[in-house]
Amino acid sequence: MINQFAYNEETVETKLKTVPSGFEVSVGENNYFVSEIAPGNFQVILNGAKKMVCCVVKGNRSYIDIDGLLIELEIPSDDGDMASSAAAHAVAKDKIFAPMPGKIVKLLVKEGETVEAKQPMVIVEAMKMENQVNSPASGTVKKINFKDGEQVGTEIPIIELELPVL
Amino acid sequence: MSKKLFKKILVANRGEIAVRVIRACKLLDIPTVAVYSTADKNALHTLLADEAVEIGPPPPRESYLDIKKLVETARAHKCDAIHPGYGFLSENPLFPIACEKARLTFIGPSAEAMRLLGNKVQSRIKMATAGVPIIPGMKASGDNIFQFESAAEEAGYPVLIKAAAGGGGKGMRIVHRREDLAPSVEAAKREAKNAFGDDTVYLEKYIENPRHIEFQVLADDHGNTIHLFERECSVQRRHQKIIEETPSTALTPALRVQMGNAAVRVATAAGYRNAGTVEFLFDKSGSFYFLEMNTRIQVEHPITEMTTSVDLVVEQIRIAAGEKISDYVLEAKQRGHAIECRIYAEDAENNFLPSSGDILYYQEPVGPGIRVDSGVTKGTAVGVEYDPILAKLIVYAPTRELAISKMIQALKDYKILGIKTSRKFMIDILSHPEFKAGNTYTNFIEKHFSERTVDLIPALELAAAVSTVAMAQGSKARPTVVKQAEGLSPWQTIGPWELGMRINK
Repeated sequence: MINQFAYNEETVETKLKTVPSGFEVSVGENNYFVSEIAPGNFQVILNGAKKMVCCVVKGNRSYIDIDGLLIELEIPSDDGDMASSAAAHAVAKDKIFAPMPGKIVKLLVKEGETVEAKQPMVIVEAMKMENQVNSPASGTVKKINFKDGEQVGTEIPIIELELPVL
Repeated sequence: MSKKLFKKILVANRGEIAVRVIRACKLLDIPTVAVYSTADKNALHTLLADEAVEIGPPPPRESYLDIKKLVETARAHKCDAIHPGYGFLSENPLFPIACEKARLTFIGPSAEAMRLLGNKVQSRIKMATAGVPIIPGMKASGDNIFQFESAAEEAGYPVLIKAAAGGGGKGMRIVHRREDLAPSVEAAKREAKNAFGDDTVYLEKYIENPRHIEFQVLADDHGNTIHLFERECSVQRRHQKIIEETPSTALTPALRVQMGNAAVRVATAAGYRNAGTVEFLFDKSGSFYFLEMNTRIQVEHPITEMTTSVDLVVEQIRIAAGEKISDYVLEAKQRGHAIECRIYAEDAENNFLPSSGDILYYQEPVGPGIRVDSGVTKGTAVGVEYDPILAKLIVYAPTRELAISKMIQALKDYKILGIKTSRKFMIDILSHPEFKAGNTYTNFIEKHFSERTVDLIPALELAAAVSTVAMAQGSKARPTVVKQAEGLSPWQTIGPWELGMRINK
């Protein structure tokens, strides 16, 4: 069985082989021996060194804890397409999304305005804290889809940019 | 306990502090009524209380901040007291007034003491008169920007804009340059209005690299006002505490006595009763300044409980019932070392952006001297309506060195999956040589962790290997919630999985 996972822009490919007391997984040049010792709790052995790793899979995501370090891996769907809302957001630099559902406290730019990369664009309030969202790139503000005080989700971009043609 | 202190207590809060209060009531054999918004229907606090009442939709204004609804609920459910927890209405003087009118005991200070201490401007003036040292700055709050500009020139940059009604870092801004002053005042006013319903802000000199040291105070109706030593809360992000410890590595026994006495003087001057905290800024030269007094139980109270063996919530309830502070509390000594880490739902690698989602996996660390005050469990949905604090991890050990290593291990053993938490970040802070040396100050994180990158390459491989196995074993097929309603024993529905490894497919 061959699997692919994506983390940001890195892709990791794994090969799995079932052995009598668990699984052998090869990733790159390393061979890991993995067994589930309790639900969600995995023991991993690599070259004799043991590690406990916690992992749950939900939908197309895998959530992992390694000694407090959290990693979320995205699992490609059957057609090999990595598209999910979060991944798509990360690639599209011409759309500015709310980092999480919340309320627009203040829009700091207007339609037609030229903006620089990293320029503050909008302040969104969620969990009682104000979060400033900066522009991912330089460009022109093409469209603003919300007004001050409006609730915003993560599906519709708050601001759409026109990027200069390179 | 010979007689019952109260018939029944309504806990006007949610999350870990509501759970904490309910547990103290259980110790005292007092039944509790929990309140919850529709978002918190299955939250831990609603499950643990003897009764639970839905009080409205998720926005706090329509549920947890609705004084009328809370008081009516308390009356309807035959409560004779209300515990406000921290946050929400805990420092709103209108709440104790409404309680008094409804003949309910408010477990906290009087409205007058709250009003005085809740206003940072007024309390500054009062404490200066009582001979407590304060930070130089504006005498009163200002309405127009010119007042702020001239006060800033006088104090000298950098300056700090603070909400008069503030707390928890909300409505607070550091300003280094004149041109940043106006937008910062505007932002602070907006945040203050949102968080406290009051947009009054003022300005004071920003003390660079200070430590934040606070003293726990208790005062009863029998003339006892005491302190239970200090807590150092210097490690903060966005002006909000994330790691607290006691004792402070900065205090000598003589300074501890001096500051403790000042704390008692603050409480006395304010006519304070119940549990409260006097906060000080402590600068490099060893001078300390009164910052504010928090008129409630605080998030970080457990570290004081660990080092003094005092149950502060139990004492709060006793004091509110008119009892004298317990003898064991009056004689309490400080011993050993305790550390608390706040477990927030947030992404430390991404500017501490709050993280929401469902908790898919949850496992608390265990061991001697380890305490978890939690408001969540497996399956809890962490929404965007409330503060991102999920739980607090507290450890106790005979020495600071042992407490640090115990905390690091406990953070590693604390497993929460499905949302991001700052556990790894806290492990890195606790492992930092400057933290280990006790050199903490309020900009510790900015100074040592602003350019933080985590090397993920070997971890990513490991994660991929484990994920492959989890997928191959079909984790999705395993039931996560076992319903007993169907008349089935849980064991029948679990299958061959829960007990160990799966037999090959």
